[in-house]
Amino acid sequence: MTGAARTETERTMTTVRKAVVVGGNRIPFARANGAYATASNQDMLTAALDGLVARFGLQGELIGEVAAGAVLKHSRDFNLSREAVLGSSLAPETPVYDLQQACATGLEAVLGLADKIKLGRIDSAIAGGVDSASDAPIAVSEGLRRVLLELNRAKTAQQKLKALSKLRPKDLAPNAPGTGEPRTGLSMGEHQAITTAQWGVTRQAQDELALASHKNLAAAYDRGFFDDLVTAYRGLSRDSNLRADTSLEKLVKLSPVFGKQLPTPATMTAGNSTPLTDGASAVLLASEEWADARDLPKLATVVDGEAAAVDFVHGKEGLLMAPAYAVPRLLARNGLSLDDFDFFEIHEAFAGTVLSTLAAWEDENFCRERLGLDAPLGAIDRAKLNVNGSSLAAGHPFAATGGRIVASLAKMLHEKAVADGKPARGLVSVCAAGGQGVVAILESY
Amino acid sequence: MSTAALTVVLQEPPSLARLYLNAAATAAAHRLRKRPAATRVPEAVHELPALTVDLEHLTSFQRLLHATVRDELPSAYVHTLAFPVSMSVMTRDDFPLPLLGLVHLENSVEHHAAIPFTLPLTVRAHAENLAGHRAGTTVDMVAEVSDSVTRELLWRGVSTYLAKGVFFPGLDKPGTGGRNGERAREPFVPPTPTALWRLGQETGRDYAGVSGDFNPIHLSSLSARALGMKTSLAHGMYSVARVLAESGHDSDAGTRWHVGFEAPVYLPATVAVSLQDAQDPGGEWTGTAFQAWNGKSARRHFHGRIEPLGR
Repeated sequence: MTGAARTETERTMTTVRKAVVVGGNRIPFARANGAYATASNQDMLTAALDGLVARFGLQGELIGEVAAGAVLKHSRDFNLSREAVLGSSLAPETPVYDLQQACATGLEAVLGLADKIKLGRIDSAIAGGVDSASDAPIAVSEGLRRVLLELNRAKTAQQKLKALSKLRPKDLAPNAPGTGEPRTGLSMGEHQAITTAQWGVTRQAQDELALASHKNLAAAYDRGFFDDLVTAYRGLSRDSNLRADTSLEKLVKLSPVFGKQLPTPATMTAGNSTPLTDGASAVLLASEEWADARDLPKLATVVDGEAAAVDFVHGKEGLLMAPAYAVPRLLARNGLSLDDFDFFEIHEAFAGTVLSTLAAWEDENFCRERLGLDAPLGAIDRAKLNVNGSSLAAGHPFAATGGRIVASLAKMLHEKAVADGKPARGLVSVCAAGGQGVVAILESY
Repeated sequence: MSTAALTVVLQEPPSLARLYLNAAATAAAHRLRKRPAATRVPEAVHELPALTVDLEHLTSFQRLLHATVRDELPSAYVHTLAFPVSMSVMTRDDFPLPLLGLVHLENSVEHHAAIPFTLPLTVRAHAENLAGHRAGTTVDMVAEVSDSVTRELLWRGVSTYLAKGVFFPGLDKPGTGGRNGERAREPFVPPTPTALWRLGQETGRDYAGVSGDFNPIHLSSLSARALGMKTSLAHGMYSVARVLAESGHDSDAGTRWHVGFEAPVYLPATVAVSLQDAQDPGGEWTGTAFQAWNGKSARRHFHGRIEPLGR
């Protein structure tokens, strides 16, 4: 038997393990320039990790790997997550890496680490995400930056003068990060406004979805659902964007903010779009053995995930529509249909994003021509959608949203499975800047 | 027409600033003495042999136009290399149209081969096709850029300019078969934008800096008003260079593009842009249609298409 053949045999004998969600922790999400205005990404991520450590008794524990990230990141934070781990009470020998996939950062961290657990490379992991829109990096202008770099390269006084002579007064204005897509100059809201108009999503439908998000989130807080998912931070114990007392009457009064240049009526308001938010989240993942050895809960398993991307630059698809493509592929690979799920967690970047995605799956033309399906993917039971609220109410600190959703969904699946006495299944869908999307399936353990 | 006897070889790239100054002086002189009505374009071909590209200059162009900093020249950058040579033809004494006030109507380019910045280039330019237009007279400026050593044609551009209010006896009259005569304007319905450009007052100056086109109508509202504009406007080629960069095919070999200019972009401006890719059933790229318009007034600024050569 040759060496190559033996390796092959060994490989086929390796069984893929389960990756379970033990639990999660996040700090309440705060509207930008509010409770966390002076907290940094590293501060908030450390706070989320510390809460997770406290909840599951992980002090001094060496975790197999930690992966987390932020979308708006200072250049000095090149090792943001490693620094946060060093500042936490986890073992300092815990290896860490940063990752970033815009708003899908948190979910991608979960999927990547779950795969490592399944393959036996690690036994435990923490997936996290953090973002601060308040403590945002501010950079010098491109003009000033180029002059400074050229000055740095200059050796003679003459070369230095030449570099300085290129400086213009406008170069002194700093650059703050925006939500505009680099290639198109359109903000995410403007992009979504185009998609919302294309799918004919009404203002009322968007406001109703926003209202449901607030009502569901408030109810979940009231019945204590978040008691073991959220740790108070900086005087905040609930998401500060949550408006428990909001109503359709209040939402319809808001003026549109996106899509005002489109020929169709503008329907997207501050009420049915997510605000800029600060916050952090973390999810503890493990093999069954690792969780059992520490007597930790096993809420759900990470079954599978899929990423997709669309071309919005050349007018082929809307910026935030990638999950509409990822979900059908994920379902096909797992032999499932939309009817096979108990919960749908579709990230509410904008109410229009959720409703456009749902409309696409119900549309015969879209499903045939874009997805290559014989029939529409189908409608979902709206009573199963974002039942404990989503980003419209909680807010959306970009990289922290995936962790919020996975931890909440794992708990919901576990509760439902216990109540019904049969397994429960949930679908997660997160859209992201750059025309990307990541989706995942979780099942109750 | 390009017999050797009629080729004027330039020793160095003509300075556009000087050409504009000359043009202003000639215009003034012509106003004093009535210019003889030449109804032919000069037969001369102007040639600039062995032009080399300055890498830093190329990089500034690529940065300003949001293009990727590649080693191959963007198609619109090649136009800026050829433009001074065309200008030197347009400022000849026997060129029939006044240079100042010429309106850039359309531009077509065939980009035959990828052009690395290290390649020494030969630029040849001539005028042809003087034609009647309902608003005046048009001329085509043809520029050809080839490899100085192998003489292989790399890039060929045709820029059509209109001299408003200049009419010549004997040229096609509007509506009598003139190619630019009576082109019915289709009503423009703005499509869904795929991009939004916020152009500041400095856009014209910045592009002048990387293209060398210091036409006063682009530099400041003051210099533009001196030439009868209500305020300064963006270079047409700025918009084209940017939209081509956005298409992702701006320095590809084997492409052709065409643009028709409509309402000028007065600065500052917010320009709505649409790019629409087309593919054949096999998924091969068959072209990108583009257009841009004023988001408020819905007046179209330009429209065009880039596609693979040979389609």
